Amino acid sequence: MKVKSLLKNKDVSHKLIILATFFLLVIFFSIMKPSYASYDNIMTILLATCVNGLLALGCSFVIITGGIDISVGTVMTFSCVMSGTAFTVWHFPIWLAILFGFLVGTLCGAINGFAVAKMMLPPFIATMAMQMITKGLSLVVSGIKPVYFTGADGYQNIAIGEFLGIPGFYNAIIILVIAAIVAHILFSRILIGRYDLAIGSNEEAARLSGIKVNQWKIGIYALCGLFCGVAGLVMSSRLNSAQPQLGPGYELEAIAAAVIGGNSLTGGEGSIVGTLIGALIISSLTNGLRIMAVSTEIQSAIVGLVLALAVFFDQMRRKKG
Amino acid sequence: MAGELIKMEHICKEFPGVKALDDVTFELKAGEVHALVGENGAGKSTLMKVLTGVYTKDSGKILLNGEEISINNVRDAQRKGIIMIHQELNLMNHLTAAQNIFIGREYKTKAKVFLDAKSQNQEAKKLFERLNQDIDPTVKVGDLTVAKQQMVEIAKALSYDSKILIMDEPTAALTDNEIEDLFRVIRMLREEGRAIIHISHRLEELKQISDRITVMRDGGYVDTVNTKDTSIDQIIKMMVGREIFVTKQDAFTQKDNKVTLEVRNLNAGRMVRNVTFQAREGEILGLAGLVGAGRTETARAIFGADPHESGEILVHGKPVKISSPSDAVNAGIAYLSEDRKRYGLALGLSVDENVCMADMTDFLKALVFINFKKSRDNTTKQKESLSIKTPSIKQKVKLLSGGNQQKVVLAKWLTRNSDILIFDEPTRGIDIGAKNEIYKLMNQLAAEGKTIIVISSELPEIIRTCHRVLVMCEGRITGEVTGDEIDQNVIMGYATKREA
Amino acid sequence: MKKLLAVLLTLTMVAGAAVGCGSKSEEPAKSEPAQNEDASAQAPADADTSAPAADGEEPYIAMIALGFSHQFWQAVKSGADQAAADLGVKITFEGPEQETMVDKQVDMLKTALGNNPSAVCMAAIDNEAVAGILQEAKGKGIKVVGFDAGVGEAESEAKCSTDSLAAGALAAEHAAELLGGKGKIGIVGHSQTVVDAVERVVGFKDKIAADYPDIEIVDEQYGEGDHLKSAEVAKSMMQANPDIQLIYTSNEGACVGAYNGLKEANKLKDVKLVGFDSSAAMKEAIKSGEIAGAITQDPVGMGYKTIETAVKLMNGESVESFIDTGCYWYDASNMDDPKIAPLLYD
Repeated sequence: MKVKSLLKNKDVSHKLIILATFFLLVIFFSIMKPSYASYDNIMTILLATCVNGLLALGCSFVIITGGIDISVGTVMTFSCVMSGTAFTVWHFPIWLAILFGFLVGTLCGAINGFAVAKMMLPPFIATMAMQMITKGLSLVVSGIKPVYFTGADGYQNIAIGEFLGIPGFYNAIIILVIAAIVAHILFSRILIGRYDLAIGSNEEAARLSGIKVNQWKIGIYALCGLFCGVAGLVMSSRLNSAQPQLGPGYELEAIAAAVIGGNSLTGGEGSIVGTLIGALIISSLTNGLRIMAVSTEIQSAIVGLVLALAVFFDQMRRKKG
Repeated sequence: MAGELIKMEHICKEFPGVKALDDVTFELKAGEVHALVGENGAGKSTLMKVLTGVYTKDSGKILLNGEEISINNVRDAQRKGIIMIHQELNLMNHLTAAQNIFIGREYKTKAKVFLDAKSQNQEAKKLFERLNQDIDPTVKVGDLTVAKQQMVEIAKALSYDSKILIMDEPTAALTDNEIEDLFRVIRMLREEGRAIIHISHRLEELKQISDRITVMRDGGYVDTVNTKDTSIDQIIKMMVGREIFVTKQDAFTQKDNKVTLEVRNLNAGRMVRNVTFQAREGEILGLAGLVGAGRTETARAIFGADPHESGEILVHGKPVKISSPSDAVNAGIAYLSEDRKRYGLALGLSVDENVCMADMTDFLKALVFINFKKSRDNTTKQKESLSIKTPSIKQKVKLLSGGNQQKVVLAKWLTRNSDILIFDEPTRGIDIGAKNEIYKLMNQLAAEGKTIIVISSELPEIIRTCHRVLVMCEGRITGEVTGDEIDQNVIMGYATKREA
Repeated sequence: MKKLLAVLLTLTMVAGAAVGCGSKSEEPAKSEPAQNEDASAQAPADADTSAPAADGEEPYIAMIALGFSHQFWQAVKSGADQAAADLGVKITFEGPEQETMVDKQVDMLKTALGNNPSAVCMAAIDNEAVAGILQEAKGKGIKVVGFDAGVGEAESEAKCSTDSLAAGALAAEHAAELLGGKGKIGIVGHSQTVVDAVERVVGFKDKIAADYPDIEIVDEQYGEGDHLKSAEVAKSMMQANPDIQLIYTSNEGACVGAYNGLKEANKLKDVKLVGFDSSAAMKEAIKSGEIAGAITQDPVGMGYKTIETAVKLMNGESVESFIDTGCYWYDASNMDDPKIAPLLYD
């Protein structure tokens, strides 16, 4: 009885569908290549999910308002470049440099929010401007060279140290899990999540209910920026350096994860769990295709196909309801 | 007349949790105006959506000229000559009248490449002339009045040579003159042998325009009667299954009650000019006037939804600065918009989420976490006291009927403890039974000491609900009537009292 | 807060100024390592540059690279700047942000031609896309020199670049030596469209196929030169073929990425890594022996020779149609060698 009503609930059923998709993928690849399901490889997949997963989490909040943030990739890069600069040039202690990176990300997000809410720029345009600005600034600040975190002992361990000494269990995975739990709580139990949905569902009704829509929007974009900052930490820690030219392209993968996870680009609908599974689907798919030695160009085509199918099924589901 | 043009037999349609249509039968003859009435949620819209291919039926048959047909989408219906003119008109505001009419079937030059605007405009002009309408085919539809937009829709239907026109609440936003013009056009279409299905809550006008009336109730078919053989009371009885008595409101007796809202010299754009009035605790104050008199604009300015240039707003005697809805909400003012779907509700969210939307601070624990239990308890309480009909408070509000949606909006503001409630067209699109419930709620709230301001274009509604009525015309308050003075003719007099 | 912003702004401006100054420095930078032996040997820099200066203003050469932000291009630029200062010409150096933005590069070329340059030096992302424009330019007497990836043969009068096939073969020789002539190899490439990148892989594979029958190339994948993606590629490659003994990577991003991937998978000890190009991270890993070695091109020399060739053409001198700017194998043993060290950039 309970199960049946759960299945009837559309939100739950969608999560089950993508979860099933995810497991089908895993089973398929495991049969094709038994080494796919090995502990090491699962950890590899999880680690590969981290950066994109963090970006997608941030993106989800914005997408649920009915907006879009295409600056997540370069904001991520910019925040870790700034963090690296703070450490190497201004000699901040490393913890402060990391926090500074988060602050830069949050600030970029807040500026996005300000541009969208107060300056009335369409989100696509506002964040495209931010994408270009942060891309340029990253190169300028770094002098077009990687910023190395050498001298920060154990900086690489932040992402690829082993959690509690469990072999192969990287800290980055824990960072993603914690970030996802925080995001889930923010989304489902805290005001910002509720207003996120309300704004996405009907912005004018939200405003006329006395919700300070503009302030919340700035907050939501800033939150997205903060997630970019955290992604920047994981990224730079894995590479032990901030690579200033990276970033463009990452936003598309993040948006793809959010969309596969069932976040409607028109807003008002979505979930954090969905986003996380969406990110997992992308990384497990790419990993599986690589392990099967599928050539790179076909990999890209297959991921594109999965994205299209995911959105198609989502539309069908919506239409039915 | 050779039998039925359309016959719908034993139509059933189920949505999750709701049986929207249960074995409904409906017949339509050529050359008749057939009214379809029923309370909201009775299934009229669903039935028409099945006929026009928006929804597909679960079971039942549709016969056109005696032959069974299948309608799977809107285009199917269009091809068979069935067209619906929706309450929210389906026009593209940025395109011209002619472009709207011929959208998807554009006139092209001989080479079949270039658009032929000239002959398209001429053709549109011809259609307008047939309808006796003075509409420029090249004007953007967004610049036309609602009544003219409706004519564009009708012209579009004519251009398809539709045999069956379904009009959903066509008169809801029209002035009396415009309604007369529309009825003239409807009669003309009837003379041409077309069949018109007319959905409306205004029973008086159905009496004028329709030949037959079909009544639906709770998703089922009740009866079809000849208009001339029946009375409004009988129809109402069929609709609600009970008799309804309308009583006029007594004059407001407690004149010494505290003034809760005072507006002084409020100016906001062209539509709100020097508006000054007071409203008291426990009072139901009406704002009457014709469409476009500035009543909604006044309400929106008071609520901070639109900015105002000058004027003072005092709540409980204290001046308050209102520059956004959140200021107004904090001052205890609530606004129930005339367009619930656009301005009042987050349709994709649940009843619970909508009810507590205006005031989450009361539903938090440890300052940040949402207290779901408290929120659910409140919503359940509101659901019971307002008798909101919903299978669950987790139901998305878009699945509720208009009356119940209105109650959800009301519940939102009652949860916020707002003591000044502005109802803008509170019963638009709401059936009679639910209407009376809303009136009763307004009385009850006033008795509890709240101040109620009602904006309505339906004079009977103003007359029956208000203690005192302010009449507006062209952005000014042109008259005030109280108690026994409240009378249709007096109000209409003030409402047309233009500036010299 | 305000303070922070101030710091940020100042920094931005200082950095901007530094970059700006760099590009139009009038005097030859003293520390420029352009005069490595090869370059200086055939660079009669101040011998005869009379013609360009004759008509009063400095002749202008437009240089358009595949990219801009990568350090390789910055090294090419420094060589070109050096040559420009030595030979008394004015140059501009541009390149799109990503090495895939064909359209942007075409726009850059068109804009540059609008400024009436005496010569255009170009590394085209897509030869066909610029062929017509370059032909037209050539018709107007503008000299066209290809560098690095170069342009189509019909359009250019000379090409200064690393012979990528030879470079790939050189990498293969060293890889074979590392494996003792026997083993399994995986390849992490960075592009399947840029000729140069393809040749690095083809040259490698051809050499292995021709001379080392006991070596098998078991997998070949591409990571767009993105550090993170290349890391994932290398890890999944190891997952699929745990018996790979050596990974060959075709550029810096691929190499550092694969290095990180192997490090994460704890495979650095088991798998030898052969790279391409250089960076601070690569240098460090090579010094410590974690990366076996890599091929470096001579970007500074490439920049220098490109401008030099263009100036020669402008003066009516004849030049060879292909000028190999050279490549070198470097590892922990020779990276401090005075011949190699200047070619390694950060």
